[in-house]
Amino acid sequence: MRLGCREAMDLLVEAATGTVPPAVRASVVAHLVGCPACRREAAALEETASLVRAAGRFTVPPGFWPAFTDRLQARVALERLPVSARWARWLARPRHALAAAVLTAALGLAAATAGRLGFLGGAPSDPADAFDAQLRGLVTETMTATLPSLAETIDTWRAGLHAGPDAEGDAR
Amino acid sequence: MDAEDRQLVEAFRRGEESAFSALVIKYRDAVYRVARRMLGNHEDAADVTQEVFIRAYRALARFDGRSRLYTWLYRITVNLCLDWRTRLARLPLADGAPEPAPAPTSGAPEVEARETVRAVARAVAALPPRQRAMVVLRLYQDLPYQDIARIMGCSEGTVKATMFAALRRLRRLLVAEGVAP
Repeated sequence: MRLGCREAMDLLVEAATGTVPPAVRASVVAHLVGCPACRREAAALEETASLVRAAGRFTVPPGFWPAFTDRLQARVALERLPVSARWARWLARPRHALAAAVLTAALGLAAATAGRLGFLGGAPSDPADAFDAQLRGLVTETMTATLPSLAETIDTWRAGLHAGPDAEGDAR
Repeated sequence: MDAEDRQLVEAFRRGEESAFSALVIKYRDAVYRVARRMLGNHEDAADVTQEVFIRAYRALARFDGRSRLYTWLYRITVNLCLDWRTRLARLPLADGAPEPAPAPTSGAPEVEARETVRAVARAVAALPPRQRAMVVLRLYQDLPYQDIARIMGCSEGTVKATMFAALRRLRRLLVAEGVAP
């Protein structure tokens, strides 16, 4: 196979980094024999590749792998824990606990503000309604039937709770 | 995926934790070497290597075996290194250039060899991250272009073109450093 400069260039990288099959390499070499420009390029690429390869050696610090394995095993053990246990462990660190506390407080404050401003749906809640609902839960029908005066007292109380400033004014 | 890796993955799926340990022992050095060459220092490389195996542990049960296990691990490694460098946004190899090849005798040749190593390390570090990843995978890990393409998520042609550009750039940098004629 006779290669042109462009085809040879495409194969030069592979040739320079040592991955072309012998037949292709032979074609590249045949081109290089007759092409000084490609020959210079090939020499430069090969030299660069071998310089980079030769300079890439390093050693791992002594004792690194045992320490690495211990740390990894500890992390893997953590991965095996159920989510609740992982949360508990995460929260056990003071820094994380503080962050969680701050976040909870911020969320609580945001929810309270949203509730007060009516962002959580519906009109702002009336404390009187809430108290009324609580009272209804506590006082059963049997109780009011047995103690008619209790029912009367509660009705009066409810009327008082729902009476606004206008009602107070009227009463005066 | 080679037979040994397949057996280890299947054993892991059956709940044999020792299979994961075996995979770590088999691949930790290769993963660390890629990370060290991409990040340029031991501390970051050690952290990334930990993270690679933690991610592998989480995802190994879902590994489908269509690619080779080492290709998958290298992909995690390269992606983590690229993210790591973006996050840290600091120059690599500032203090941790690879050590020179052992052997040189004392005196001037040793100093020269050390300086050559540092110059090459600086040149490799100056490459754009993806070019550097390809140089590391090809020249140091000796991976075939086909595997590098899978790891980098591009075509083989793109890898070759990028390698060509990377080698030319390295050449210019080394000439400027006075290492290459």
